[in-house]
Amino acid sequence: MATDAKDLETLVMIRVVRLNAAVAGVVTGVLAGLALFVATNWLVLKGGPVVGPHLALLGQYFIGYRVSFVGSLIGFVWAFVLGFLVGAAVVAIYNRLAALRDPHARGR
Amino acid sequence: MTVAPGARHVVIGAGPAGLTAARELARQGRPVVVLEQAGIVGGLARTESYKGFHFDMGGHRFFTKVDEVQKIWHEVLGADFRRRPRLSRIYYDGRFFHYPLKPLNALAGLGLWRAVLVMLSYLRWQLFPYKEERTFEQWVTNRFGRRLFLTFFKAYTEKVWGIPCSELRAEWAAQRIKDLSLRSAVVAMFIKPGKTIKTLIEEFDYPRLGPGMMWRAAADEIRRLGGAVRLEAEVTAVRRSGWRVDSVVHAGPCGEAVVAGEQFLSSMPVTQLVLRLEPPAPDAVREAARRLTYRDFLTVCLIVDRPDPFPDNWIYVHSPEVKVGRIQNFRSWSPDMVPDPAKASLGLEYFCSEGDALWSLPDEALIRLGKDELERIGLARATEISDGCVFRVSKAYPVYDADYREHLDTVRAFVDRFENLQTIGRNGLHRYNNQDHAMLTGLLAVRNLEGGVRHDLWSVNTEPEYHEEVGVSEAEAAVLEGRITEIFPRVDGLALGAATGVVAGALLWLATLALVWKGGPVVGPTLGLLAQFLPGYSVTAAGSIIGLAYGALGGFVAGWSFAVIRNLTLLLSLSFLRRRAQRHLLKRFLELV
Repeated sequence: MATDAKDLETLVMIRVVRLNAAVAGVVTGVLAGLALFVATNWLVLKGGPVVGPHLALLGQYFIGYRVSFVGSLIGFVWAFVLGFLVGAAVVAIYNRLAALRDPHARGR
Repeated sequence: MTVAPGARHVVIGAGPAGLTAARELARQGRPVVVLEQAGIVGGLARTESYKGFHFDMGGHRFFTKVDEVQKIWHEVLGADFRRRPRLSRIYYDGRFFHYPLKPLNALAGLGLWRAVLVMLSYLRWQLFPYKEERTFEQWVTNRFGRRLFLTFFKAYTEKVWGIPCSELRAEWAAQRIKDLSLRSAVVAMFIKPGKTIKTLIEEFDYPRLGPGMMWRAAADEIRRLGGAVRLEAEVTAVRRSGWRVDSVVHAGPCGEAVVAGEQFLSSMPVTQLVLRLEPPAPDAVREAARRLTYRDFLTVCLIVDRPDPFPDNWIYVHSPEVKVGRIQNFRSWSPDMVPDPAKASLGLEYFCSEGDALWSLPDEALIRLGKDELERIGLARATEISDGCVFRVSKAYPVYDADYREHLDTVRAFVDRFENLQTIGRNGLHRYNNQDHAMLTGLLAVRNLEGGVRHDLWSVNTEPEYHEEVGVSEAEAAVLEGRITEIFPRVDGLALGAATGVVAGALLWLATLALVWKGGPVVGPTLGLLAQFLPGYSVTAAGSIIGLAYGALGGFVAGWSFAVIRNLTLLLSLSFLRRRAQRHLLKRFLELV
């Protein structure tokens, strides 16, 4: 049984939630990876004389990426890595700032 | 504490807690003596008899989430422990309402116009509640509206406790009705209510001849195993040396006797236990014990010359024009409780206080009152009632008044210091435990004698109601509740805004610099299109700084907006959960009164 006698509304109002950086990183990584994977294959399936000229520009950042099925797998990995870094970085910075601003967090 | 197997154990009280403890001790081969002041066993769960008719004092559904207790019930009674259908209703203003409440039935009972008024009243009190909740009346009104309070809460609560709702403290309601806590609603959200709710509502287990049959069988088993169960043996003195109890003195028709023992388990009212100690307890403890009070009731049992006056197991009588609080129909509990198939036996329960006007009325007057009120309600004509009797049950409900906690803490601090005395059961702990939890205190007390883990008997059944309803273990609920306080607090908008701002700014800065570093005849023509939205931005070293600023600003706005929307959504969702918890409670509020 939680020992804190305060009710949940009070907690919601005065306490600040902490997030898990690794979990956030994985979530944003998977979402970003899937988004690029689906977007790439969508263009591949659509076909045409030049396939995905704009999306292919990502190849400037993601080495080895191109608008093809193999490229979608490489893109998934790159996007996952970037997404993970972005998600984890946002949460890690958030947790630091929140801890500085939340007096209740200091005792925890 | 480890007790030698040959030491004598004295159990005071042959109710569910005392007999469960004594049975367990006897099964372990320990010498045990049970002392019961009444002439029959069962305590508050006893079954009285009159001319072959059996009457359950109070009506006891056998339902538990405690597996050990369930096992004992089946072991003790075997095939005589049967599954029974449940029907209970509320009688109010000439109408019957299903209990637990069913929305359509309640609507039909109230009528469309009154249902609308109920809704309007609910809205009015949600919008403009009492600013301070000092009384039960204010507490309920703030949650359900005044009309629902008047319809379903006021009369019955006042009958049960004998105090106007405007004088019952709000703390009492908040303590009794834990179900409304948002915490429990949220836990229930994570763990879906299981089939136990349906079971609890629609059927229950019951001994063929009433609860007393269970306790008679338990007493017989104790005797078979070498223990003793002495009836009409009221404990009049508890003799002690310092913090050890040496013996108890019991008195009855056969005179007075002293029983010495090594270990003592007492389910007699803890107030009496303290007041009967020799040498006496300190004055402050005795005074605290005197201030703990009880509510009592009496049952007017009537034999009706027709088989089925109504189908319910029991009916709650809310109508204030009659004094009866609940009417039991014993054939619906178990057909074997009524020996004549052409007759019915009813138990009209009147809540009162020992010694008050109602309690002191002669039996004949009470039977007349019962007949009159049964006829007024329309369940049977007075001329159909051929016989009747009255049974009085004292100290049935420990009263949770404004000061009881303080007094109980004083008594408990004193009693807990005894080396060889444990108090068990509803009255031993002055706790509004049901039969199963009373039994559990008996079992745990015996386990305390075996050494090892020390169980805190006073904390049995202090957990919220939802544990019973959703079928979640205490451990699971504890973990979940701990996590809930980590999941639900607000997201700090400024912190999240700043974090996303930093990361977004850094991303745009790095992306720009990467292209600048790569170079080429036209540097970053596509990324450069961002300038259409971000004036001043370009794919250059200077532009990367401007991009960083834009990224930081855009990221901050996005992160902060997310936090604000998430927090608002969460508050709305919690508010919805609270309403849902209230509606759930409203369906079965009487069990909490």
